Amino acid sequence: MSARLMKKALMRAGLAFAVLLLLFWSLGPIYWSLVTSLTPPNDLVSSELRLWPDTLTWEHYAKLFGATSISQGNEVQSVWPQFSRAFLNSIVTALAATLVTVAIAAFGAYAFVRFRFPGRDTLFFVVVATMAIPAYTVMIPLYRLMIAMKLIDTYTGVIFIYVSAFLPLALWLMRSVYQAIPISLEEAAYLDGAGRTHTLIKIVLPLSTPGLIAAALLTFLNAWGQFMVPLVFSPTLATKPLTVLIPEFVTRNYVDYGLMNAAGIIAIVPPILLVIFLNRFLVSGLMAGSGK
Amino acid sequence: MFALFNRLRPHGKGRTGLLGLAYVTPVIVIMGALVIIPLIATAWDSFYSVNPMKAGKPFVGLGNYTSLLADPNVRQSWSNTFLYVIFTVSMETIFGLAAALLLNRVKFGRSFLLAALILPWCLPPVVNAVVWGWIFNPSYGVLNNGLIALGVLEDNKVWFNDRVTALFMISVVHAWRMMPLTAIILLAALQSIPRDLYEAARLDGAGPIKMFRKVTLPLIGSGLAIALSQSTVFAFNLFDEAWILNGSGYDTRTVMIQVFMSAFQNLKFSYGMALSILAMLASIVVSAVYVLRVYRETRFE
Amino acid sequence: MSHMPSTKLLLAALAASTVAFAAPALAQDKPYDGQTLSVLLPPWGTLPKEMTDQFTADTGITLDSQTLGWDEIRTKIVTSMIANTAPASATEIDWSWVGQFGAAGWYQPLDGLVDAEAVADAPTAKIFVYDGQQLAVPYNNDFRILIYNAKHLADAGVAVPTTPDEMLDAARAIKAAGVADYPIGLPLSATEGSATAWYLLTKAFGGDLFDADFNPLFTSPDSAGYKAMEFEVNALNEGLIDPSATGLKDVDIQELFKNGQASFDVAGWAGIISVYNDATKSKVAGDAHLALMISTTGTPRSFGLPEAVGIPTNADNAGAAAAFIDWIQQPETQLGAFHTLGNLPPRLSVLESLSNSGELIDGDVLLKQAAYAEPLIAQGTPSWYPEFSAAVASNLNLAAKGQISVQDAVDRIAAEAAAAAQQ
Repeated sequence: MSARLMKKALMRAGLAFAVLLLLFWSLGPIYWSLVTSLTPPNDLVSSELRLWPDTLTWEHYAKLFGATSISQGNEVQSVWPQFSRAFLNSIVTALAATLVTVAIAAFGAYAFVRFRFPGRDTLFFVVVATMAIPAYTVMIPLYRLMIAMKLIDTYTGVIFIYVSAFLPLALWLMRSVYQAIPISLEEAAYLDGAGRTHTLIKIVLPLSTPGLIAAALLTFLNAWGQFMVPLVFSPTLATKPLTVLIPEFVTRNYVDYGLMNAAGIIAIVPPILLVIFLNRFLVSGLMAGSGK
Repeated sequence: MFALFNRLRPHGKGRTGLLGLAYVTPVIVIMGALVIIPLIATAWDSFYSVNPMKAGKPFVGLGNYTSLLADPNVRQSWSNTFLYVIFTVSMETIFGLAAALLLNRVKFGRSFLLAALILPWCLPPVVNAVVWGWIFNPSYGVLNNGLIALGVLEDNKVWFNDRVTALFMISVVHAWRMMPLTAIILLAALQSIPRDLYEAARLDGAGPIKMFRKVTLPLIGSGLAIALSQSTVFAFNLFDEAWILNGSGYDTRTVMIQVFMSAFQNLKFSYGMALSILAMLASIVVSAVYVLRVYRETRFE
Repeated sequence: MSHMPSTKLLLAALAASTVAFAAPALAQDKPYDGQTLSVLLPPWGTLPKEMTDQFTADTGITLDSQTLGWDEIRTKIVTSMIANTAPASATEIDWSWVGQFGAAGWYQPLDGLVDAEAVADAPTAKIFVYDGQQLAVPYNNDFRILIYNAKHLADAGVAVPTTPDEMLDAARAIKAAGVADYPIGLPLSATEGSATAWYLLTKAFGGDLFDADFNPLFTSPDSAGYKAMEFEVNALNEGLIDPSATGLKDVDIQELFKNGQASFDVAGWAGIISVYNDATKSKVAGDAHLALMISTTGTPRSFGLPEAVGIPTNADNAGAAAAFIDWIQQPETQLGAFHTLGNLPPRLSVLESLSNSGELIDGDVLLKQAAYAEPLIAQGTPSWYPEFSAAVASNLNLAAKGQISVQDAVDRIAAEAAAAAQQ
């Protein structure tokens, strides 16, 4: 009896320790980024370990949100107009790419699992294999194409490039999700006279929610961190995202570490809100009905 | 019971063909226009000598590929890249699986734990590399300061002076950022395992390790294959971390840095593109090895 | 109308004819009225809105500013030019790209398009001449100069060094006095900043990198380049340079100097002095001073690393771009760029006026050194420069880490330079 209690307590302790370890691993560097963003430039270099700045400063955040700022001893315009615009661009492109990718993957993957058409498996293999193509390999031809279609510096252009980059992973993921769903459920609906598309939307998709959410998260976060694509295809603030704006805080002769870290800390807020919001769909007991 | 999970055959021949095609048309159009056609164009160019500083575009056949084999800098970058792949893929898979299992288990505050897990992936890559550069900085970084304060180190250590240490440190930075991807894919797979399978196994007298091997592992097999493949592909494309942390240093130069330097810095365009195509082929081959193996090993009866 | 170039005349005539009916009076002084000009520059080339508004008011040209970070701008230009489109109508050109962009024929000659008198006033404009043609006009002056911490020197009781040996002695004295553990600030990581520091020291030892036929001059043990690298490696081994320098970039060295951990910034660019003396960013504010570069020959040699604006060959509106270049050459614009962005004016007359008004820290030293700022390579930046400089940085780094000898390093650099030049 007591041995069992001991075992349980030990298990709990082990679990708690694992949670702490995970938190330290994930949050440690983020915490350091936060500390750097709150440290005055003067105190950044220190040969002793300091876990919290001696003097706290909000100046880097003030530069991001304020009206003016100081650069190399001179008062210049604030970066807020650029920052807010790039922030918006990041959100718009990542969200739109996510919606389009997940929609196409939801239908496409279903066809790859349940329908039979010529060249199906080859097509699937080719699409998944494109994951391995480095961005540099296709950049120049893609650039020519985008110019010809007048899609440079447009949301449409960037979004479709993102979709083409992240669709293979989403398709593969959704295919494995559909494969795990017992076919009997669909057959029942199908025998009841529901159409294929209707069955997919009404029966299969709800059962696949965790998979859909995982695919959406993967796409959103991959798009959020994209750098090469917008660098080339988003020349101006009309579509330029945060990832391309932030390196501008590194001038050739002066790196504004505080400002970069402040911008990075702000940049993690939207994805985190999204994760917290989507979490209950990702980790939910929806599978209860499928395991019979 | 497991019979349900046997390979599900597509059914309803013929009539589903057209609908199936309709479902995949967007996939074909987008991937064809934005990926396949550009890839063919670049592959075609790699058989020519394309250099904007020289007139014309002479056909060189496999010339670019044979000079790549002879280039010592390229060979070093391959050897570095393979080490990065080994380090990062194993770290991401082991820790990613551990994190997914943990999250699958924890009941309290799970959504916040998940958010914490994903945080590293939300930080823009440039900021990520800068933060780690700051942590590793040999003269005022928190790692050296921390280890000295703990008494582990006597003096500041220059982490990047030794090749394998440098490769390992850069791998840690990459794995820190990419591990959440693996964890999410595996978590989604874990979530789709019906609980009653564990109950059934428990009734059969299986212990936790046996349950993991007989129930969990086979059922997350395809998730594992996806996670392994994507982490391999990302490792072959490693660029930012190595470039920002150690510049063009031979010890840490990746294949993708070599591609960038050849094509965009030295303007030997088709030479760089030929190398990028080799990188693509290498990552497909390595991923295929895992995928086939994982699918074979996790076949369950 | 002595010799107004035909292209400009033609463009002006074309532009004039389109607006001639609407506003004949304006046609003459605002030939590009109503045009939109795209300009691609790094953050420190992007002038504040009040200034560009003035440009728009003067010329009628609306600016479409595209800003990109330093590492990214070149990738963007190369991608666009290989795809046969101009990335913008006027773009950044760094001194180190001149050989490549010239050989590729990506930029149009500006001779006759822009104000020649202003170009002649900027000594560093010569660096942007390729094949006898002016490819770009500098907007930001940058040359290397010695920066030292006067308090460190005073505390150790040493004078400002003028030769490499004196610098070593001064560093030893500073170290012995316990003022700074590692007095010499030099980057030795595999980055461009380490390569440029070695070039500067090569000139300090009275030599050059290449002869007129691009044969390397740095491989024999009595050459300046060899001695310069030996100087760096020995100073590191002697403990005069921070052992962590093999992992530090030029910006990291600046952090050390700002923190009072280094007494000399040998990789410093002239403009950084204002950051060093800014009390909000630096702990050594007030102590940082400029000195002429050390030298074995008595001539304080240095080299220029300016940045310029050029017009791609396939730019949409080259005329408006030329008007923009003329505008950034104007003294008021260069003064404005200095006051708002800290860019040192490329035009000597403007630099002099700033020095005279006392706005420059150690302005007399700065002006004296500016006169000695030569191009890195006399016959111009070769097209294989980026490969060469990556080889320098990477091999210098290996030598500093003790993995190869100085002789091996210079030999490998020479071999890579030869291979790069051949292809």
